[in-house]
Amino acid sequence: MFFVALITFTLAHAAPGSPFDRNPNRPLSQETLDRINRYYGVDKPIPEQFVIYMGNLLRGDLGLSFTRQRPVVEVIGQGIGTTFQLGLAALAFALAFSIPLGIVSALKQNTIVDYLSMLVATIGTTIPAFVMAIFLISIFGVSLHLLPIVGWGTWQNMVMPTFVLGLGAGAFLTRITRASMLEAIGQDYIRTARSKGLHERAVIVRHALKNALIPVATIIGPATAALITGSFIIESLFNVPGMGRLYVISILQRDYPTIMGTTLLYALLIVIANLTVDILYGALDPRIKVR
Amino acid sequence: MVTAVTTQQRRVADVTVIARKQRSLWRDALYRLVRNRAAVVGLAVIAFAALIAIFAPLIAPYDPLAQNGPKQQLEPIWARFFGSEYTDPAYVFGTDWLGRDILSRLMYSSRVSLVIGLVPVTIVLAIGLSVGMLAGYVGGVVDDLLMRATDVVYAFPDLLFVILIVATLRGTVLGDAYDGLLVIFVGIAVVNWVGVARLVRGQVLSVKNRDFVEAARAIGAGPGRIMRRHIFPNILAPIIVTVAFAIPGAMLTESVLSFLGIGIRPPTPTWGVMINEGFVVFSTTPWAVLLPSICISIVLLAFTFVGDGLRDALDPRSKV
Repeated sequence: MFFVALITFTLAHAAPGSPFDRNPNRPLSQETLDRINRYYGVDKPIPEQFVIYMGNLLRGDLGLSFTRQRPVVEVIGQGIGTTFQLGLAALAFALAFSIPLGIVSALKQNTIVDYLSMLVATIGTTIPAFVMAIFLISIFGVSLHLLPIVGWGTWQNMVMPTFVLGLGAGAFLTRITRASMLEAIGQDYIRTARSKGLHERAVIVRHALKNALIPVATIIGPATAALITGSFIIESLFNVPGMGRLYVISILQRDYPTIMGTTLLYALLIVIANLTVDILYGALDPRIKVR
Repeated sequence: MVTAVTTQQRRVADVTVIARKQRSLWRDALYRLVRNRAAVVGLAVIAFAALIAIFAPLIAPYDPLAQNGPKQQLEPIWARFFGSEYTDPAYVFGTDWLGRDILSRLMYSSRVSLVIGLVPVTIVLAIGLSVGMLAGYVGGVVDDLLMRATDVVYAFPDLLFVILIVATLRGTVLGDAYDGLLVIFVGIAVVNWVGVARLVRGQVLSVKNRDFVEAARAIGAGPGRIMRRHIFPNILAPIIVTVAFAIPGAMLTESVLSFLGIGIRPPTPTWGVMINEGFVVFSTTPWAVLLPSICISIVLLAFTFVGDGLRDALDPRSKV
């Protein structure tokens, strides 16, 4: 985390130009510029700025946003709820279609059902989210006028972003589910379960599924992190007021404190997700010992 | 009579034995790849796109930057079947809101994608391979440094890291070179080399204590020779698969960056730039956005099919 902070800080400050020389038509006087720089603490040498920043960070203070004249914590706080809402909706959607699809295509391996769902999964993982979004917008937004194209707040606004965001993750989960289900079905204990005369359904649900879902469960953590950090394209496209759009805008505006804050938060999410996986693995599968 | 038959049978048997012997591991893999219909189609699509990219200046009907004032926002030629009056046979795919020929722009865009697919991936491969080999085979300081670098890069969401790098360097000389192409190379290379290095390191570690390496060392081969002649061919398969997926990955990164407005600078056409520019006037000229979107989708799908095919062909045991 410290390194992430250091690298982001260096990169952000290495960018040429200050955030305050934006408007060439209304040049600021040197005096005003000095005062602004002092106000935001960017008149000090960069290493000193970094030390101050890290000190504030430990107290939960991310500094002031350059462009919004408000604390970064507040600015991010406004977007993070929306981003989580979108991310969790997308996750729910992804799980809802990927796990049944993966199980069915594993059970009907090498049939038309299997091929079709694998084709859907391949398309879902390959076609970039923003391209998929464009196809959807042109069909449901422009041609059919069924759904609003941009904005946020009503459930209609959520349909397309959720679908696009969830599709990629879901397609990936479908492949994982199918693969681990196939592996589980081939195991000896399934043959044992069958040979002692259990119902096919009992074999699948109680024996195969229980084991097959372990890898799937552990991947949900990183998948959630990926959905939340990966939503910036979708948010920019559909004009969703979340953290991702904030990140893109602040990069374009050179708003260092906001860039720093969002990047750190993203990195924190990823670290948490990876930790969760390690712990989950040990809990779900006693065969694996966490070292 | 009886003897003749046996001789003939023996000859047939001999031939089969020879034929089997000649089929090396790689030939086997090639055979499996060619049998995979999706992969062959994918390869054909890629070859077609590459040809268009190479010969774009010769076959493109117009200059991709030339604006034709009165011929703005022409609809593609097939719109005529739906009763559109606003088409022109000279502009098969129509024109955008500045009157630029979309077909020519699509063709020139594939050149950028080709370069983006090749150059950064070569850089990534060169760095990743050498660092990974050293870290895996020699270990020590290189290994420690590599592991630290990996920890740091893995903590970033990778696309956001590329965005950060590209956005930072944008105003500099580097960022301005070749319409922003160079800085995208750098961004992709910085973020992706660690993944390759990690993979190579792991593969080297799993191979380096095998008997054939021991044997090579026993007959006096130096570390350089062992790495090149003995270890490298044995870890090549996963590297090939990684490259097959890294190329479309790089192309995707470029189009996302360009789409967000921090990639290749307009007016240079790339599919991402075209989508970015066309998106503002999406409702009036949807085809200016849809056509490049379709191009990206087809090319990326082709690469995925080839990548999947390669993985299945090189490692028949893998399942995902």
